[in-house]
Amino acid sequence: MKAQLQLFSVTIKEFFSYRLNFVLWRLRALLSTLVTVFLWTAVFDTKTRFGYYSREQMLSYVLFSSLIMTLVSSTRTTELASDIQNGNLMNLLLKPISLFRYYATVDVADKTMNIFFGFLECAFVVLLFKVPLVVPQAVLVSLFFLACGVTINFFINLMLSFIGFWTPEVWAPRFLFIMILSFVSGTYFPLDLLPGPLYRILLLTPFPYLLFLPAHILIRGVEPHYIIQQIIFALLWTVGGYVLAKQMWKKGLHDFSFWGR
Amino acid sequence: MKRNIHIFLLFAKNAFNTTSQGKIGIFVFLIGKIVRFLFMFYLIFFIFQHTRFLKGYSFEQAALFYLVFNLIDTISQILFREVYRFRYLVTSGGLDMILLKPYHPFLRVLVGGVDILDLVLVVPYLILTALAASRVVTTLPQFTLFILLFINALWITTSFHIIVLSLGILTTEVDHTIMIYRDIIGLGRFPMEIYKEPVRGIFTFIIPVAVMMSFPVQALVGKLGGSLVIFSFVISSCIFVGALLLWRSALERYQSWGG
Repeated sequence: MKAQLQLFSVTIKEFFSYRLNFVLWRLRALLSTLVTVFLWTAVFDTKTRFGYYSREQMLSYVLFSSLIMTLVSSTRTTELASDIQNGNLMNLLLKPISLFRYYATVDVADKTMNIFFGFLECAFVVLLFKVPLVVPQAVLVSLFFLACGVTINFFINLMLSFIGFWTPEVWAPRFLFIMILSFVSGTYFPLDLLPGPLYRILLLTPFPYLLFLPAHILIRGVEPHYIIQQIIFALLWTVGGYVLAKQMWKKGLHDFSFWGR
Repeated sequence: MKRNIHIFLLFAKNAFNTTSQGKIGIFVFLIGKIVRFLFMFYLIFFIFQHTRFLKGYSFEQAALFYLVFNLIDTISQILFREVYRFRYLVTSGGLDMILLKPYHPFLRVLVGGVDILDLVLVVPYLILTALAASRVVTTLPQFTLFILLFINALWITTSFHIIVLSLGILTTEVDHTIMIYRDIIGLGRFPMEIYKEPVRGIFTFIIPVAVMMSFPVQALVGKLGGSLVIFSFVISSCIFVGALLLWRSALERYQSWGG
């Protein structure tokens, strides 16, 4: 635990060493949020409702999901792919904590920094552009799905980096994943506005649990008919992600070889 | 000129040979770009399933904004992909060897890495843009102005990439600068009218995203005033001159690294 605390502290200090990088990264996130907020504000210029959503609910969804995305998507596991490729993985294997714990700790620090600034940015957008927000509902249930989403994304990102054990083409699959995630997780609009069958199929995949469900529950509360199914699938994807990542890690380590260090 | 074209084609051929080494990577990247295009297009389609107009624009017109954005963005990525790799040249000292060569350094650092991957996407984008444009009421003068403003947008894109190169020399920071540039021009996916002040003013008159991405389509549909047309050409000229001056200043300050 002491090692993990020190790792957390070092990671936070790292952010202050590369301040410009971090500021530019957050600026990019802010721009992305602004585009979506303005787009939906423009849509509601001539309408009072869009599907099941009022103006306040839609704009709240956009801002809450932006915050959730900040928490879910901020990760340092992307570095692992290049560490595998250039042999730095050996340094990680020599550390006194396992690779999974190492990256979990680094990611917690990364998420702490990102969510802190994410809150400030959202407050800035709300105050400057007078964005109306609804009062969040079922916060504890939403937090449960958020924890699942963060964990699922952590394992998916680890697995994307583990591809580096077998091929140098590590960026292409990650790029494709980010492109798919940006839409099917509900970044641009709530997924329950999609045609019913498509929405039900998406709920069987891990993507809605990363962003849509935590944000949707905050806006519209719990759906009593579906909540049990949603909890089961969230847990299944979390456990499934862990098992798959562990299997890939074991297989990758078995196949891994490097020399010259 | 003939010699420069020959050198450009030589670099393009080399870039193609390098890119084609990772065939699976190319294929997956291509799928990713198509997925991104289709998802964003679906978003526009989805919005117009519930509403007839977005800030006064019909579905065809809004689609045209998105398609023209993609066309300008993709053409600039085809031409200026080498800018994304510029940082390594500065930090490794490799830029010295380029500056010593008997051709203009822009041939190598600006347009020396033509991206064949994006070239594949331009054809469908062009066809879709032509299809969408054919469904919009326009006149010959408006169409001519659209073409001129489209070329003007590519000129501004060139200037922005020269600015990124100059900042790369001055600060050794390229990756974030170029991604910020990409995010900022991303505001042009939709009509600029959706943005509130001061955001719209900033991205029209200070960082001319609107001039690049919105004005050509606004001209095509007859919604661009004459003063803004003149402004477009004046600001693009100013940015180009500014970019060249910055590049010259950056070269004067350049100190080689490594050995």
